[in-house]
Amino acid sequence: MTFALHTSLFFRRKLLETLRQPVWIVTGLSTPLLYLALFEPLLRSVAGRTAGLPPGEVLDVFVPGILALMAFGAGMGAGWVVIWELDSGVIERLRVTPASRLALLLGTVLRDVVMFAVPAVVVIAIAIGFGFHAHWGGLALMLLLLAALTASCSASSSALGISLKQIGSLAAVVTGVQLPLTLLSGILLPLSLGPGWLQVLGHLNPMYYAVEAARDLTAGTITTATVGIGFLVTAAAAALALCWGTRSYHQAMV
Amino acid sequence: MPVTDSLPDAVRTSGLRKAFRVRNQAVEAVSGIDLTVAAGQIFGFLGPNGAGKTTTLRILTTLLPADAGEAFVAGADVRRRPQQVRRRIGYVGQLGGADASAAGRENLLLEGRLHGMGAGETARRADELIEAFDLGAFADRTARSYSGGQRRRLEVALGIMHHPQVLFLDEPTTGLDPQNRANLWDQLRELRRTGTTIFLTTHYLDEADQLSDRLAIIDHGRVIAEGTPAGLKRRYSGDTIDITPSLPPGRLPALERDLASGPFVRAARTSGDSIRLSVTDATQAMAAVFSLLAGRGIGIRAASLAQPSLDDVFLRETGRSLRDAGAPAGPGTATPTGEKVPA
Repeated sequence: MTFALHTSLFFRRKLLETLRQPVWIVTGLSTPLLYLALFEPLLRSVAGRTAGLPPGEVLDVFVPGILALMAFGAGMGAGWVVIWELDSGVIERLRVTPASRLALLLGTVLRDVVMFAVPAVVVIAIAIGFGFHAHWGGLALMLLLLAALTASCSASSSALGISLKQIGSLAAVVTGVQLPLTLLSGILLPLSLGPGWLQVLGHLNPMYYAVEAARDLTAGTITTATVGIGFLVTAAAAALALCWGTRSYHQAMV
Repeated sequence: MPVTDSLPDAVRTSGLRKAFRVRNQAVEAVSGIDLTVAAGQIFGFLGPNGAGKTTTLRILTTLLPADAGEAFVAGADVRRRPQQVRRRIGYVGQLGGADASAAGRENLLLEGRLHGMGAGETARRADELIEAFDLGAFADRTARSYSGGQRRRLEVALGIMHHPQVLFLDEPTTGLDPQNRANLWDQLRELRRTGTTIFLTTHYLDEADQLSDRLAIIDHGRVIAEGTPAGLKRRYSGDTIDITPSLPPGRLPALERDLASGPFVRAARTSGDSIRLSVTDATQAMAAVFSLLAGRGIGIRAASLAQPSLDDVFLRETGRSLRDAGAPAGPGTATPTGEKVPA
């Protein structure tokens, strides 16, 4: 009861913080739309000449990847604000209240999930206009799956921010993992198009399973093993990240 | 001696210890602190930067686990019942802690709700504090736009939002101008009047002297003196001599060294054109100083038995001046008035 109240209080606080800086809402939407507008035509002209990438369904392969990229990006920004809150003593002050540390973490995580889901719906709507074939049930499940991906990124980013303490170190770590994590999940093109070794590397990346499952779900094939594994891996990653984040908040110190 | 949970003291610690690892070396920040703070008083924790004040405060406010020792705050065990402690205390950290992206009022409302106050009660209390701390003109603007003094007022208001039994403040007046500083002192005295115990750290001598009912002086993680400001100074009264020799300032350090090694002298320190001596017997020491100076043909412009300040207490216990130890005197520090002795 208290936990739910504290979570909603922290969620409200974080949501207000974001709504007061509309620039983030704009950048959150502009990246996926730029991919759709500037990269998708390129992909379309390659499709048809490539086995496994039929010309009529380029968007069906591409949109789930872009949504996964959005889910990743929505979560990874959390650490920056955490460092700022450490430096200004906000976290220290909140740690001296009886507030649950998990609630403190979840305030940010839930805000990030919303900041993923709302632009995601906009992008889906626009993509449908361009010929994206949506399977509604699968789409809803995919949003749920990617929300869990955002949650794991957000909680990990907060935990990283608290342990690294410096904006510079956090930036180095996040940019260092960002590219391999996203490339090795087959966000832009399915890894199945690549050589064997690339696919092996992909299987070591938890995000790969989420992207694969997202492609099955948008295609409407909900009961595949890929979907099951995607949910399992992503849920496990989210649970681990939430534990890590809560633990970090327990010890957070400048 | 073990401390028990039933005592009415606001703070009670025994054998508190905390070490940090710095470049693979254990550095002890708090080395066995025993403290008792009775309820209803303003307790000052005075010491130079790096003495262990903030670490002690963080242990008492449940932010940091102690390596050893016991601490009870507002009747609850800090280690075993941190949630109880958190419900009963307020904390104003050195970094402040106001959320700059939220309005002052929103900060207050969140704090109240986190402490389990109902929505109506929280709103009423926020109005009350906005009034008491004169935040009305900007309470609904984001705290980012506040001046230093305005922000500090909001932060103290946040600390007492839920009527805590004990309010902890870490260097609350650092960075404030004299006007805001005096206002904060008044507000803290008013809080004491309404029954709140106040535990504050400071490195300002005058703040510890004028504001606290009792104080502990801390250095290198240990309490080196404890008592009322008047009592501590009385303990050293008559033990401080100020000498102003007719010498150019460049020659004072050499004389200071010679005087420091003289009979009845514990420590010496130069301040401006005079040398202040901490001595065991003022009359005997004065005679010895006069004969040493006369023997060298150095004239004396002034000599006085000084009223000891808290700095003399620190000097006497550590051989260093608190000012030299990296602690500036606060703005508007009163200089100790001396009882003039004819030279």
